[in-house]
Amino acid sequence: MNFSWRRARSVALKEYKHILRDPFTLAVTLILPLVFVGMFGFVIDLDYKHMRVYVRDNDQTSVSRRFLQEMASSGYFDLTPVHSPAEADQALEKNGSPALLIIKRGFGRNVRSGNPETPGQIQLLADGTDNVQASIMGTYLQGVIQKANAVFARDNPELSGGAERAPNGGDQIRSRFLFNPELNSRWFIVPALSTIIIGFLAIVLTALTVAKEWENGSMELLLSTPVRPAEIVLGKLVPYFLLTFFDVLVVFVLAVYVFRIPFLGSFLFYMAACWVYITGALALGLVISVVTRQQQAAIQFAFAVGLLPSFIFSGFIFPIENMPAFFQYFTALFPQRWFLLISRTVFLSDAAPMTLATAFGAIGLFAAAMILLAVHKFKTDVEP
Amino acid sequence: MNENDIVISVKNLVVAFGDFHAVDGVSFDVRRGEIFGFLGANGAGKTTTIRTICGILNPSEGSVTVDGKDVSSSTAVLKPRIGYMSQKFTLYPDLSVRENMYFAGSLYGMSPKQIDERARKLMDFIGLPQRIPDPVSHLSGGVKQMVALASSLLHDPELVFLDEPTAGTSPQTRVAFWALIRRLAEMGKTVFVTTHYMDEAEYCGRIALMERGKIVALGTPQKLKEQFFPVKPLEIAFHAPVQNALREALKQAGIESAVFGNHLRVRVSDRAAFERACAPFAGQFSVKEVEPTLEDVFLQAVSGREAK
Repeated sequence: MNFSWRRARSVALKEYKHILRDPFTLAVTLILPLVFVGMFGFVIDLDYKHMRVYVRDNDQTSVSRRFLQEMASSGYFDLTPVHSPAEADQALEKNGSPALLIIKRGFGRNVRSGNPETPGQIQLLADGTDNVQASIMGTYLQGVIQKANAVFARDNPELSGGAERAPNGGDQIRSRFLFNPELNSRWFIVPALSTIIIGFLAIVLTALTVAKEWENGSMELLLSTPVRPAEIVLGKLVPYFLLTFFDVLVVFVLAVYVFRIPFLGSFLFYMAACWVYITGALALGLVISVVTRQQQAAIQFAFAVGLLPSFIFSGFIFPIENMPAFFQYFTALFPQRWFLLISRTVFLSDAAPMTLATAFGAIGLFAAAMILLAVHKFKTDVEP
Repeated sequence: MNENDIVISVKNLVVAFGDFHAVDGVSFDVRRGEIFGFLGANGAGKTTTIRTICGILNPSEGSVTVDGKDVSSSTAVLKPRIGYMSQKFTLYPDLSVRENMYFAGSLYGMSPKQIDERARKLMDFIGLPQRIPDPVSHLSGGVKQMVALASSLLHDPELVFLDEPTAGTSPQTRVAFWALIRRLAEMGKTVFVTTHYMDEAEYCGRIALMERGKIVALGTPQKLKEQFFPVKPLEIAFHAPVQNALREALKQAGIESAVFGNHLRVRVSDRAAFERACAPFAGQFSVKEVEPTLEDVFLQAVSGREAK
């Protein structure tokens, strides 16, 4: 008895009806990605803007005022002037006041002199309990200083001897971020998040299907018919594939048209990668279902296998380059890692698909392996 | 009996789950076109045996052959010939009757038209309305069983396995079921049915009594009755309240009796001893011979085994 497309199609049709009759699953599948991507995209914004800074300007010259103006117009800082040391202390003790900026007396004079030995001095006191914000504040302030220097040099060429020479005389680091010039974290997170949420959803969806048939007894009937494991596996993959692919499209539209994330790569290549990736995730769900044969155990497995590696080993939270060598290789086992690479790359760069051949191959290999495993592990007898 | 008449042949079948032997050395043959009944309490091994013959459970020892072919190695050929109705309710509750039928039929390669035709006939025969639009979960227990039966017969199998088809159904449904089962046998199908209703067993051509993984009796209902009751049991009706005293007297004489309502049923091998024990109560009771029921046979077979 050979593989029968007709039987596979029957299973697929039946599965499709199950999906339509189960409003809860359908709702979860269609709404969950929206909620997750929306939540991460709107609420969790890792970009610090409008950080509150108290300012004590002890210099009170046109140069210091010009500098503060530059700082305020950067958009990163909201400045509140304080007028005495006591007031400054008070401001710092207040809750939610992250930083105090002090411009030292003689700032304007020193800047005007252009002497590398005596630069203009600024002190930033930042709240170290929020180390991320504190260090970001320092970095942004650096940027403001650079810009202020450039502006000052342009406005006062007679003092500084040309724009090339920095008035404070320090070396300057110039970084330029390619592909995401503003280092916009939303650009970075949303494509990655869609990877994780869709992959996870795919695993959970199929993890329940075979287990459900074991639990309600229909598997016994199924096994007494001529249907074969490969036909059941394929028949169960197809409807969930379509459902999950619909999610992919929804998230894509959300990312590109709502969050305005640029999509520079090849759309076709990205779609092909999505197809392979969700197939692999769905097949992994089937493997879990076939092995556990219980919905409760299957869902726990699906969470463990689907969610944890997605966040930890994919590079979503912890950069893979910073992991110990062993774990760098270990992450290669997880398709999420490879698909994350693909989706970030195709969104933010126009790199040729060939540069992602390894990643594409890896998710392809994973999908094939999972399908074979699901078919192979499929029990054709009802022994407990 | 012609050798060709044997469809299913089970030899020394053992099905073990770990240390537990659900089926423990069972042998029997099933002939073409007969209604073969499998009787026994829950957990006696009936379902395990049926599953093994259907090829969805592998024997630990022994062999099961259908038409001379080993079941576990030729499932692909045998499955299309088998119709199996499981004890568990195995239809999809969220699909309608028609959808369930379509699914089951299509797995056997039937076209929608064939399925429609066949389903109409079966529903007609069972006495169900042609179109039940509701999902199966909305149907009553008896109707569900009927639909499950119809769905297992859709592909017109030669071998029909029904695992407790009438469990938990109304008396009317049971009558309809058995009418259908007889009809199937008339059409030349071999029907293998398990039940724990002893009265249903009377409808079977032959029955096997199963107890703790072993067959304790096998034969036609009539043969089994003759085998276990060479002398017909006696039924004692009382005209005076001497039931307990008479029971006691019989017990003294080594004769066991069972209470059936306000009758006493006795299995007598030594008539003289019985007469002697009853003599003091003359005129206060009357005795008549009765036909043993299969229930009597079953109790006898089981207790005989326990005595050994």
